[in-house]
Amino acid sequence: MEYASEQRDREDTIRLRGRLTFNDHAKLRALIGEMKLNKGQRQILDLSSLEFVDSAGIGMLLIAREEIVATDKTLVLRGAVGQVKRVLTVAQIGKLIPIED
Amino acid sequence: MSFDGAAIQPPAAGTADAANTVAVSHDLLSTWMGFADVQRRTLGVVQSELARTSQHVEDATLDLSTRFRILAEKALEQSQRVADIIAIAGSVTIDDERVPVDHLVVGMQDMISDMVGNIVVLSRHAMSMVYLLDDVQKDVVELEKSIGDIDSINRQTNFLALNATIEASRAGEAGRTFAVVAQEVRHLSSSTAALAERMRSKVTAVVKGVRHGHEILREIANTDMSPQMLAKERVDKTMVSLVEQTNHFQSVLETAATVSADMSATIGRVITGMQFQDLTKQRIEAINDSLAVLCVGLGDLESQIRAQVPPDVGAREPQEWLNTLLGRFTLSEMRGRFVRKLLLEGTALDENGVLDVDASHSDSAGGDIELF
Repeated sequence: MEYASEQRDREDTIRLRGRLTFNDHAKLRALIGEMKLNKGQRQILDLSSLEFVDSAGIGMLLIAREEIVATDKTLVLRGAVGQVKRVLTVAQIGKLIPIED
Repeated sequence: MSFDGAAIQPPAAGTADAANTVAVSHDLLSTWMGFADVQRRTLGVVQSELARTSQHVEDATLDLSTRFRILAEKALEQSQRVADIIAIAGSVTIDDERVPVDHLVVGMQDMISDMVGNIVVLSRHAMSMVYLLDDVQKDVVELEKSIGDIDSINRQTNFLALNATIEASRAGEAGRTFAVVAQEVRHLSSSTAALAERMRSKVTAVVKGVRHGHEILREIANTDMSPQMLAKERVDKTMVSLVEQTNHFQSVLETAATVSADMSATIGRVITGMQFQDLTKQRIEAINDSLAVLCVGLGDLESQIRAQVPPDVGAREPQEWLNTLLGRFTLSEMRGRFVRKLLLEGTALDENGVLDVDASHSDSAGGDIELF
């Protein structure tokens, strides 16, 4: 998994690319640290270029949400497609993390 | 009335009979008597044919009624069977309890949703543990480094104590007390080294345990459960399809039940409709009664005339009329009965091939007359 950040107005957008799996756990932890320090009130994970997420990836997204909420920011998942969108839907992640198209 | 030769003479004028008498030729009387004989027989055959037909219709109607009644009962049984199937089609038995399929489907979907929810919670906890153990591992490395630092300090302390002892012995009596202190410092350094060694041994055991635990946890967290989560999609589709199919079956069965009931009702009406046979029988009996009266009248008249005609005037067979009559019958069995009655019981024998092989064959069982 690779990622790139972009800051605009009061939100930061981080675009994830490739596959988000257990092997990315260290990288995602670093990203969570970055998001906690970012200035934007809304931290948006753009998933439109993410091809695959495993169950560990879903667990990590939930941890990201908890840590970001603890800093009075909001985490948003945006533009998921394919397998990623299906897994998010089946796992009912939308009940915990706001999901945007 | 008198008969003389070929012609019947008119009665003498002036007599009482003369006014009521007309001259009729022997030839005409002979023809009339032959005709009357055949007509009487024909009427007889017609009566028996009508009775036979009426009986035939009655037998066939009874037989048909019986069969239709059986059919109606079967259609009714069929309706009942279909109704039984409809009653259980939309549900299944679980632990002796009937559960509607749609309830079952909702229950199973909830169960799978819970399962997926549990996978999500477990994945989240597993990742939290992975992050915690990542941190613990870093701390343990720090701890190992700290023990190393203690060793290093201890070596320096020991070295310093040794130097102090040497310097104390050089100082002689003045350094005697200092030498005791230096010796104590060396003992202290030795104890610290032993403690550091014990700590290193325990820390190594902890590090080994933590690393092993970390490996196991990584394996657990690295086991991708997303295919199992996505299985919910397939299960949901299967359940929807199951409910749709069950509903379709029910609808088809309900139609089948209606059709069976309609069939049963229609057969009932057919059985009622077959009562026409009663009326037909009564009509045929009435016709036969009329024919009997005609027959008796004709026979009576024939006897009266025969009594007044000289014995040498015989009845002439109306051959042409007979041929026309028998030509009408295309059913060989019926034709056979007519032939027997009209020809073999009468005066005329077959002269024109009216008796045929088919006629004799078709009635060989019931007839005592052997036809050729």
